[in-house]
Amino acid sequence: MRFESGKIISDFDPHFKIFHELMPFKVQEILLVSSPYDAFIMEEDGSLATRIINEYQGLNLSGAPRITLVSSGREAIETLRRQAFDMVITMPHVGGMDAFDLGAKIKRIHPTQQVVLISHSLRGIYPIPENVECHSIDDVYLWCCEADLLLSLIKNFEDHVNVDADTARAMVRVIIMVEDSPVHRSFFLPILYHEVVRQTQAVLDESLNEPHRLLRMRARPKILTAINYEEAMVLYEAYQPYIFGIISDVRYPRRGKMDPEAGIRLLEKIRKDVPDLPMLLLSSEPENREMAEAIPAVFLDKNSPLVKSEIHSFFLNYLGFGDFVFRMPDGKEIGHASNLFEFEQQLRKVPSESIRYHANHNHFSNWVMARAEVALGSRLHRDYVSNIKSCSDLRDDLVFKVHSLRKLRQQGVVVKFSRDNFDPEIMDFVKIGKGSIGGKARGLAFMWMQLQQSRESHKALSENHVILPKTCVVAADGFNDFISTNRLHLNKDASDESIAESFLAVELPLWLKEDLRVFLSKIDFPLSVRSSSLLEDAHFKPYAGLYSTYFLSNNHPSFSLRCQQLEEAIKLVYASTWYENPRLYSKVSEQGREDSMAVVIQQMVGQEYDGYYYPHISGVAQSHNYYPVMKMKAREGICHMALGIGKTVVEGERSLRFSPAQPERLIQFSTVDDILENCQRQFYALDMKSTKKLSHDGSNLVRRLVQDAEHEEPVQLLSSTYIPAENRIRDTAMPGVKVVTFARVLKHKLYPLPEILQDLLDLGRRGMGCEVEIEFAVRLDKKINRSEFFFLQMRPMVTGGEHADVAICSYEIDRAFCFSRSCLGHGRFTNMADILLVRPESFDAGATRNIATEINALNARLQSEKRPYLLVGPGRWGSADPWLGIPVQWRDISGVGAIIELQNESLHADPSQGSHFFQNITSLGIPYLTVMEEKDGASGTCSFRNGGNCLNWNWLMEQEDFTDTDFIRHIRLPEPFVMKCNGKEELAVLYQKDDQFSSGEVCIEVHRKK
Amino acid sequence: MEEIISLIKNKDPEQREFHQAVEEVVETVKPVLERNPEYRQHAVLARITEPERVIMFRVPWMDDDAQVHVNRGFRVEMNSAIGPYKGGLRFHPSVNLGIIKFLAFEQVFKNSLTTLAMGGGKGGSDFDPKGKSDGEVMRFCQSFMAELHRHIGPNTDVPAGDIGVGAREIGFLFGMYKKLRNEFTGVLTGKSLDWGGSLIRPEATGYGTVYFAAEMLDTKGETLEGKNCLVSGSGNVAQFLTEKVLDLGGKVLTLSDSSGYIYDEEGIDRDKLAYVQQLKNIMRGRISEYKEKYPNAVYTPVDPLLDYNPLWAHKADCAFPCATQNEINAKDGQNLVDNGVGLISEGANMPSVPEAVDLFIEHRLLYAPGKAANAGGVAVSGLEMAQNSMRLSWPREEVDQRLKEIMKSIHRTCVDAGEIYGVQGNYVAGANIAGFVKVVNAMLDQGLV
Repeated sequence: MRFESGKIISDFDPHFKIFHELMPFKVQEILLVSSPYDAFIMEEDGSLATRIINEYQGLNLSGAPRITLVSSGREAIETLRRQAFDMVITMPHVGGMDAFDLGAKIKRIHPTQQVVLISHSLRGIYPIPENVECHSIDDVYLWCCEADLLLSLIKNFEDHVNVDADTARAMVRVIIMVEDSPVHRSFFLPILYHEVVRQTQAVLDESLNEPHRLLRMRARPKILTAINYEEAMVLYEAYQPYIFGIISDVRYPRRGKMDPEAGIRLLEKIRKDVPDLPMLLLSSEPENREMAEAIPAVFLDKNSPLVKSEIHSFFLNYLGFGDFVFRMPDGKEIGHASNLFEFEQQLRKVPSESIRYHANHNHFSNWVMARAEVALGSRLHRDYVSNIKSCSDLRDDLVFKVHSLRKLRQQGVVVKFSRDNFDPEIMDFVKIGKGSIGGKARGLAFMWMQLQQSRESHKALSENHVILPKTCVVAADGFNDFISTNRLHLNKDASDESIAESFLAVELPLWLKEDLRVFLSKIDFPLSVRSSSLLEDAHFKPYAGLYSTYFLSNNHPSFSLRCQQLEEAIKLVYASTWYENPRLYSKVSEQGREDSMAVVIQQMVGQEYDGYYYPHISGVAQSHNYYPVMKMKAREGICHMALGIGKTVVEGERSLRFSPAQPERLIQFSTVDDILENCQRQFYALDMKSTKKLSHDGSNLVRRLVQDAEHEEPVQLLSSTYIPAENRIRDTAMPGVKVVTFARVLKHKLYPLPEILQDLLDLGRRGMGCEVEIEFAVRLDKKINRSEFFFLQMRPMVTGGEHADVAICSYEIDRAFCFSRSCLGHGRFTNMADILLVRPESFDAGATRNIATEINALNARLQSEKRPYLLVGPGRWGSADPWLGIPVQWRDISGVGAIIELQNESLHADPSQGSHFFQNITSLGIPYLTVMEEKDGASGTCSFRNGGNCLNWNWLMEQEDFTDTDFIRHIRLPEPFVMKCNGKEELAVLYQKDDQFSSGEVCIEVHRKK
Repeated sequence: MEEIISLIKNKDPEQREFHQAVEEVVETVKPVLERNPEYRQHAVLARITEPERVIMFRVPWMDDDAQVHVNRGFRVEMNSAIGPYKGGLRFHPSVNLGIIKFLAFEQVFKNSLTTLAMGGGKGGSDFDPKGKSDGEVMRFCQSFMAELHRHIGPNTDVPAGDIGVGAREIGFLFGMYKKLRNEFTGVLTGKSLDWGGSLIRPEATGYGTVYFAAEMLDTKGETLEGKNCLVSGSGNVAQFLTEKVLDLGGKVLTLSDSSGYIYDEEGIDRDKLAYVQQLKNIMRGRISEYKEKYPNAVYTPVDPLLDYNPLWAHKADCAFPCATQNEINAKDGQNLVDNGVGLISEGANMPSVPEAVDLFIEHRLLYAPGKAANAGGVAVSGLEMAQNSMRLSWPREEVDQRLKEIMKSIHRTCVDAGEIYGVQGNYVAGANIAGFVKVVNAMLDQGLV
């Protein structure tokens, strides 16, 4: 993939896969052999190379060839010996050598080298003198000082080379031009290419973006040239199924002699095979018109001053580049379609006879083919559709095929919003306005594209409906116009409320209001309106949660009220740009510029149940798990999910945590008590009943009890049943208290959510080049294969510690008071100066409850002083079993900054997971270190050379007690210590001060032992 | 007697929990041994402290990644003098032979006290079910039973659940036993209701504690009718205990959890109890929310700086500690005495520290130690065995009625033992002695085996 002017140009896209495979041969290197004089004449209007490049750009073609200019035949031969060229273009006389000599010499070196002669005059060249070896020159053209001739002969050569492959792969269509005169060929060929390129571009789906338009151009019709009857017949027979037009001169050689009616004979012969093939007869003799009409073919007088416009109208009217004109079998016109959208609309309503008529005459396929929709063109070919006997089936089949293609074409593409053509049915991602779409939308668009490109290589993505909710982005010029037209100025002292009021009091730009009205008039689903800040870039810190999100039920009977609510929501998102928090954050993160704002308007995922709208599942998945406890692995990533709207997960409320690679290993759900303790009991839903006023604080999201929704399908589907009499949770459906366990999805594989998440995380990580976080929602269908996974957002994972912050150096270990090779969590912490240490000398496994009580009291004090602390002690912290460790509950250590567990080798217990205690550790990102007490010699000093875990007891004991209780030593260091946790390497180091290292010390970065 | 203790310590020096348990039993049954030389003659202490059989075995199993693990399985068949070995299986990383032996030893007396024909045993493994998938747990259980099945049977040894072994694990264990032995028998208790489990299991401990209290009051010609009761905890035991207190006409004033307690002067009636059940069982909320629902109640949060629990400082007639071990310290004990509480029936295990117990006994309060008062759970296990033997499933009223009878009979046994050994009204001594005497008498009856 490469980036060009801020646009992502895809080298591969499965939608466009077929196009990637087309035109495999491209002329890239041209050797132009021209005397200085000829060159002077040719370059009279500017450098030839520049003119060719301009011509390519003018026609929006990609990859103009490079031209190497040499001034003599000898130089040409020398150059050809050194370097390969796709094509040699020579003038007639090149430094003591004529073009035919040069051609012969070139062919001796490279027998297949294409050599084209162009000349200012044909005298002495055409007809080719009898004593001249004419095979040394492949083609002859007359130079009329127009660079588009060069382009045409380049394209024509490419077409001849590529035609076999492209017709076989994509049924690319072919126009045959028969013309023996270099004069006329040089005149007509550029006109035809211009027409083909321009017309194809004109009819390409306007919703395509530029890179895709370029790709699609590869499927433009090919023009094959013949100079006599036999050549023409060879081409016709070889490409007969793909030929959609023949353009022929009248007089040219046939059977080795000039035949004044060769063209007539050719067209008559072909007409017998294909009665409706468009044919154009070119002649300088107007009397041939009658013969043309008899064939029948369109006649064109070569001497007509209107040649170009007549060719243009031939393309429009006969080759399918104009509007599709729906007719009745008697020729009566009944409708027009200028694009696929209108085509589909017409197909739905025109009379069956018309459909049958066009289908049988292959008009549908021709018209669609002209739009480079090769796959659809072949599916609409009369050979297929004429087999459908029932008229209504035929109509349904055509509509379905056209609709499917339109839908498919939009996937992975951000489409420019058009009031006339907006079709929410098929357009998943539209952009209103110009300018940047902001970080959030960019992440979405990128992943959306990635998703389409990589489906085939990811099983779960290819086999399931993994899609984007309907998304509309209002680009940044909406914000900029809004600010400038309303002359709003940022007053840094203004309160958030007054900013909101001033924004609400003014109007959105008219163009935006109108676009929004059209958008809203075509959709009827609930919406979320969120910011997509421009400063929020993929590799900067995301401004997650700083801006507001608004939810619209979008179901009020009054359309104008719905519009008003949407406009207000957008204004409020705009206003939030100037709120205090984002401004402060911008300052803190040193993003030195003012934020602008795009807005993402997105379909809310879900379904309505008794006036509440919510999805079955929503969640956040991260590609790296910094707390890979039990048998989880960091690289497997981690997912938090919940029933209902994602606020539950995003705001850290009770949700289920699991590794997508090991969905059955639910640490929170190990025992019945664990399940009851940790399961979700409330969820968020959109209240569809409160529609009058836009809620400014998201309060139209209501928190519902799971038990109140027990009769609703999502709860029934995702819940198990608690049987109090057996103290058992059964996953099967039965009467009783519902407990949200997601068992059917995670344990019983009803829906491959874990597999989809794995694929997406893999895709995200590869695509962004860093660890990523993905927001998603799932709507499960009764027919499970119709369920939909909605991809809501992707952003880089923010850990608060980039590599440079957490890389651990050898010299840091040498001066550390603790080093652990078993660390959960990630980041660099310099906010702790207090250490609570369970005294080893007074530790008593029988007194762990008392120890917990003492910790509780110290915690209360330190928390009130806002002093996070390091807690060090033996055994499993948070254990319910006092014999395994100190049975603290979360409230006992709620102010803790980091925890060290001294583990005894004889105890085969993982750190305490599954408890609410551990959930808090995880969600608050509190580092949890383990040091093996005996094995690692926890009393020893730390040393890089030693390499093992260490906790320097001697150093700890030397520190002065701040307070002292029966079981706990409270140490307060004069300054905060430094704690670095490298979650990727699972290493952590703690040492006293950063400034103790001299700048000359060499850092040997420490890595995890393999 | 000291000799026995030092012998045990020398024999198995690392089994500290077991030593402690033996010391406690020896201490409480001293008067029995002193008064009955035949017990000494038959070395009952040496015999009762040595398991009849210890089975220790390898449990290999394969995790979901096809990695093989090996855990150690245990079954200590401690004593079968009064019936087949009966006791739970514990799956927990802390499990070792010492702990299982200690638990099996205690189980002998607990079971004896129920007056049902159940010997004592305990088993388990150092397997940690936390973080294991259902499949892994199943494979472990099957491997565990692949060895255990040859040592158990409905008339030999009937394991039950314990920590880490719930209905799911019992199901897997039972399934494997059935496959290996080709018989459907009551070889395990704690089964699902549909295939041999008993009703009233969740209610048993709470109900039983109240039945025991009612029996104690009956000795004084009183009932629970109109009595003000302090209850700590708000889990299963406290909830069903409250229900039964209400059934018997009492008034529950308090309930608690780890964050604090509520005091409802109007009493926690059935509607309020239903709310608490909803709050704690389904919502898993804090008891403080009770105050939001019923504003007349008073909520007092836990104050870590206090050296007593204010819940026990209210005027009341009865106290039912159902929260946790050591929740009543000496000061709380004194507060109970000072506030006129006449009865303490323990729903939790050892909720009163020894100093508090001494105070209760000293002030001749009706004090039912947990080992007697909360034996309802064990009793229903026994009733499950009985139903399995008869191939019957009793309705809940019948199980409840039998539970009541058992609690009555436990009470009677304690009282009788106390009277015989001169510690009238001391249910602690009564319970210890009664459990012990029943077992050793049976041992003597059955000869030196």
